[in-house]
Amino acid sequence: MFKNYFKIALRTILKNKGLFSINIIGLSIGIAACLIIMLYVADELSYDRFNKNADEIVRVVFNAKVNGEDISEAVVMAPVAQVFQQELPEVLAATRLRNGGTLKVTYNNITFRNTRFAYVDPNFFEVFTLPIVDGNQVSALTEPNTIVLTREVARKYFGSENPIGKVLYIEEQDQNYSVTGIIDKIPQNSHFHFDMLASMAGDSEAKKSSWMESRFFTYLLLKKGYNIKAIEEKLPAITEKYMGPQIKEAMGISFTQFTQSNKVGLFLQPLGDIHLKSDFSDSSTLEPGGNINTVYIFGAIALFMLLIACINFMNLSTAAATTRMKEVGIRKVLGSKKKQLISQFLTESFIATVMATIFGTVLVILLLPAFNRLSGKELQMVYLLTPKVILGLSFLILTVSLLAGGYPAFYLSSFKPIAVLKNKITGSKNRKGIRSGLVVFQFMVSAGLIMATLVVDQQMTFIQNKDLGFNKEQLLVLREAYILGNDEEAFKNQILEDPRVALVSHSGFVPVGPSNNSMSAVFIDDNSPRRMTVYDIDEEYIPTMGMKLLKGRNFSKDYGTDSLKVIINETTAKILGLGDDPIDKTIIMAMDNQGGRQNLTVIGLIKDFHFRSLHQTIEPLIMLYHPNGGLIIKAKSTDMAALIESISTIWNTYDVAEPFDYSLLNQSYERTYLVEQKMGVILRIFALLTIFVACLGLFGLVTFTAAQRKKEIGVRKVLGASVERITQMLAKDFLKLVAMAMLIAFPISYYLMHKWLQEFAYRITIEWWVFALAALITILIAFATISYRSIKAALMNPIESLRTE
Amino acid sequence: MIQIQNLKKSFRTEEVETLALNKVNMKIAEGEFAAIMGPSGCGKSTLLNIIGMLDNPTEGTYQFAGHEVGGLKERQRTELRKGNLGFVFQSFNLIDELTVFENVELPLIYLKMKKSERREKVMKVLERMKIAHRERHFPHQLSGGQQQRVAIARAVVTNPKLILADEPTGNLDSKNGIEVMNLLTELNQEGTTIVMVTHSDRDSHYAHRIINLFDGQIVTESHNRALGAMA
Repeated sequence: MFKNYFKIALRTILKNKGLFSINIIGLSIGIAACLIIMLYVADELSYDRFNKNADEIVRVVFNAKVNGEDISEAVVMAPVAQVFQQELPEVLAATRLRNGGTLKVTYNNITFRNTRFAYVDPNFFEVFTLPIVDGNQVSALTEPNTIVLTREVARKYFGSENPIGKVLYIEEQDQNYSVTGIIDKIPQNSHFHFDMLASMAGDSEAKKSSWMESRFFTYLLLKKGYNIKAIEEKLPAITEKYMGPQIKEAMGISFTQFTQSNKVGLFLQPLGDIHLKSDFSDSSTLEPGGNINTVYIFGAIALFMLLIACINFMNLSTAAATTRMKEVGIRKVLGSKKKQLISQFLTESFIATVMATIFGTVLVILLLPAFNRLSGKELQMVYLLTPKVILGLSFLILTVSLLAGGYPAFYLSSFKPIAVLKNKITGSKNRKGIRSGLVVFQFMVSAGLIMATLVVDQQMTFIQNKDLGFNKEQLLVLREAYILGNDEEAFKNQILEDPRVALVSHSGFVPVGPSNNSMSAVFIDDNSPRRMTVYDIDEEYIPTMGMKLLKGRNFSKDYGTDSLKVIINETTAKILGLGDDPIDKTIIMAMDNQGGRQNLTVIGLIKDFHFRSLHQTIEPLIMLYHPNGGLIIKAKSTDMAALIESISTIWNTYDVAEPFDYSLLNQSYERTYLVEQKMGVILRIFALLTIFVACLGLFGLVTFTAAQRKKEIGVRKVLGASVERITQMLAKDFLKLVAMAMLIAFPISYYLMHKWLQEFAYRITIEWWVFALAALITILIAFATISYRSIKAALMNPIESLRTE
Repeated sequence: MIQIQNLKKSFRTEEVETLALNKVNMKIAEGEFAAIMGPSGCGKSTLLNIIGMLDNPTEGTYQFAGHEVGGLKERQRTELRKGNLGFVFQSFNLIDELTVFENVELPLIYLKMKKSERREKVMKVLERMKIAHRERHFPHQLSGGQQQRVAIARAVVTNPKLILADEPTGNLDSKNGIEVMNLLTELNQEGTTIVMVTHSDRDSHYAHRIINLFDGQIVTESHNRALGAMA
C-alpha cells in the first residue's frame, strides 16, 4: 500500500512541478530560517549554563538614587561577599572578581599587549566551573601575586615549556606574578572572558572595609532550592547595619535620614539572567551582553516563518487539489476509504517536508558563516548533530508534515465522489473563511515586519545624523601617545607641521569608543555630593572636537591660573542650580576620599554633547585644564588613510617598543550601535524572507481561486466582461484581506516598536507616514503577486472552462 | 447575417495537429433558425464557438453583419459580442454565487446600463420566461428546466441579433426540453436569428435548416419544409 502511495506521490510531484517547487522553496526557506534562528536563540539562552551550579549562582548588584543620580551597577562594595556569607545561611560560598582591564605582560623581555586581566578570590573556581587542568585547584590562588592563565595564553607566552612556576611581569602594576595554574579557554558563552586571573590576596582594594565605593563583581553560591525573594528581603537590614555607620561618619546623617531622600539597595541577579537581562552602567559591565527582547523578537520570527511556510503548504496543496478532484472521486468509487486517502496525501506532504528539510539544512550550512559574520556569533552546524537536535528535527518534520499536509489531506478526502465526478464541487463558505484567515495571518506578520524594519531603519538613520554636540568626522585618536613621555610634545608639533592637520589636542578623553575615564563628586550643597564625569583637556580640545561654547571662554595658556577654572556642560549648570549664566560662579569638588575639597570657578558653559550612547540621557560633565594622556587629531583632509600612514612614519622615528596604534572616532561611534545595526540588518533579511514566503502563499491562493472560479470567469467573459474587470474582481478580494491584515498588524507593530524605542533615551517618534509607507509597500507587494495570476486567469479563453461537458 | 468561407480550424498540441473544421462554407440569413448536427467530435461546438466569436478560425473568412471578424483581437471580439450575441449552454453555466436576477443582470452591467433600466429589463425578461417569482433564488435551488429558462433570459436580455445555443435541451427532460424549444422558436419568430447545435432529431425539427457536419466538413444541408414555409 505504501509503495503505491509513494509512487502516486512522486508522480503527482512530477506532474505539478511548478507548484511543488514553490512549495519546497517556501518550506525550505522557512525551515532554514527557523533552524538558524533556533541556533541563535539557543546560543543566547545557553550563556553561563556550562557552570555545574548555574542555577544556584547569583550576582549581587547595586541600585541606588543618590542626589538625583540613578546608579545601577553590577559591582558592589568589597566587604559584601564576606558579610553575606556570615549573615545569610543560604550562602554556601561567596566569591569576587575585580576587572583589571587590558594590560601589558612581559616574559623574557617579550611584551604581550591586550591581556585581559582580573583579580579573583581563591574560591573562584569552587563557584564557577573552570577546572584547573594544570596546577592545584584549591590552592592555586591562595598566595598573593599568583596567577592562573588560560591554556591558550600560556601557550602563547611559554610555547611548549611547562608554565607552572614561571614568573610574568605586569608593567602597569610594576609587579611580578608567578603562574600556579592553567585553565581551559573560558567558554564562548560565558558573560566574562579573561586571559589571566590573579589572586585577590595581593589586592589592597579587596581588603577595604568601605561600603561607600563599588568595585567588585560578587557572586554567591546558594543552597539548592533557595528562594531569591526571601533572601532579598533580608538585604536592606544588612545594608543598614554595615553602611549606616559609614554614612553617619561621612555625611553626619543617619541611614534613615539618608534614605528619606535617597535610595540604596542590594539585589540578587540569577547567573542565567546576566547575559540577557543586564542594564547596568557601562563601567560595571564586563562585556556587552545580549538583549532578551531581541531573543523574543527572533524567536517569534522563527515561529512565524515556519507557520507561514506551513500555511503556504496548505494553501498550495489545496490549490493543487482542484486538479486532483477527479482522482479522488475515482479512488472513492473504486473503494478507497477516507483514511487511505488521508494517508496518501500525508505521504506526499511527508516526502515534501523531508525534501524541504534536506534543502533547508543545506541552506543553513551555506548561510551560517554569513549569519555568523552578521550576528557576531560563532554558531556551528555541529550543534545540530546532537541526538537532541536530530530528534527535534525529526519531530519538526513530522509536525510540519501533519500541519502542512493535514488540512489538504482532510479537505481532499472529504469530497463526495459523485459530486466530484459530476464536477459539482464548489468551495464552501467555511473553507474560504479558513483560507482567508490564513492569508490575513501571513500578511499580518509581513506588514508588521515591514513596519518594524522601517522604524529600526529610521532610528538608525536618526542616530547616524543626530547632532551629538561634537563633530565625529575626520578625528584620529592616538590614545597611546602618552607612552612617548617627554617626547609627546615634540611628536605633537611634528604632526602639526603636516598641512593636512587642522588641530591637535592633548587629552585622553573622547566621547565615544575607548576613553580615559574619571569621575569626581561635586557638591550640590554641603551634604549632597553628586558624581560627575570629569574630562581632562587642553585649550585645543573644544575646537578640535567641534564642541560649542555657549558662554564664557575656553581654557587658555595666556591665563596663568586656569588650573583652578572649570568648564561645565548645560546639565551640570542645571543640576547645580547655577542658572542661565553660570560664569564666574564657584563649584566645590571633592579632591579625595578623606574629605578634601577644592573650589573651582566656572569660566565656560559648553553645549551638552553626548559622551555616552544615545541609550542614555546626557549626564553632568565638567572639564578641567589638565592636558595629559594621548592625542586627538582633527584632519583637514578626508584621506585619513594617507594621513595615518604619515603619522605612523613619524611615530616610528621615536624610540618606542610600542607599535603605532590609532582609532577613528566615527568608526568607534558606529561600533557603539553595532548591536542595533546588526539587529536591523537581520530583521530586514528575515522580513524580506517572510514576505517572500507569504507572497508564495498568496500566489498559490490566487491560483487556487482562479482555478475554482474558472467557470464563472468564463461565463463572465462570454457575457462581455473585460480582462481588467476580471483582474479587478479577483484582486479585490485579496486586497481586502491584505487591508484587514494591516489593520491588525499595525497597532501590534506600533506597540512593540514603541517599546523598543524606549531603550533609547534619544529616539524618533513613529509618525503617520511610516504606517502609510508600510501599507503602500505591503499592498504593492501583494498586488504584484496577485496580478500575475489574475491577469492570466482573465486572459484565458472562456471556451476552455465552459467546454467541460 | 453570417457568411463563412473556406473556414479551417486546427488544434495543435506538442505532438499532433487535429483538424476540427475543414473548408466550411455557410451562410445564415437574418431571422433564420439553423440547427447544426453531427456525431460527437465532428466540430459542431468548434463551429459554434467561432460563430459566437469565442474563438478565431485558423484559416478562412467569417463575416458577421458585413464585418470581417475572423482575425479580430480578443478585446474587439468582446466588444462585438456585447449586446449582439446571446449564449445558451447545455450545462446552463449560471454563476452559482449570483441570484437569478443577478445572473440575468450581468450582461447589462457589462453594457454599462443604468441600474433602474437594468431592473426593468431583467424583470421583463424574467416574467416572459415565467421565472420572475424566483428572482432571489440561487441556481442550485432551481430545477434544470428553470435554470435553462434563466440562462435563456440572460441570453436575450440584451436583445441580441443572434442567439447561439449549444445543446440547449441536453440536460433536460422532454417536457422541459419542449418548453425551451418553444421559447427559442418564439424568439425566432420575433426576429432573432438562432444557431443551435444539437444531437436531438426532435429539436432539429424546430429549425428552418439542418446542417450536418462530419469530420469537420459540411456533408449535407436540408430545409425543413413545414417550418420553412411558416417563416
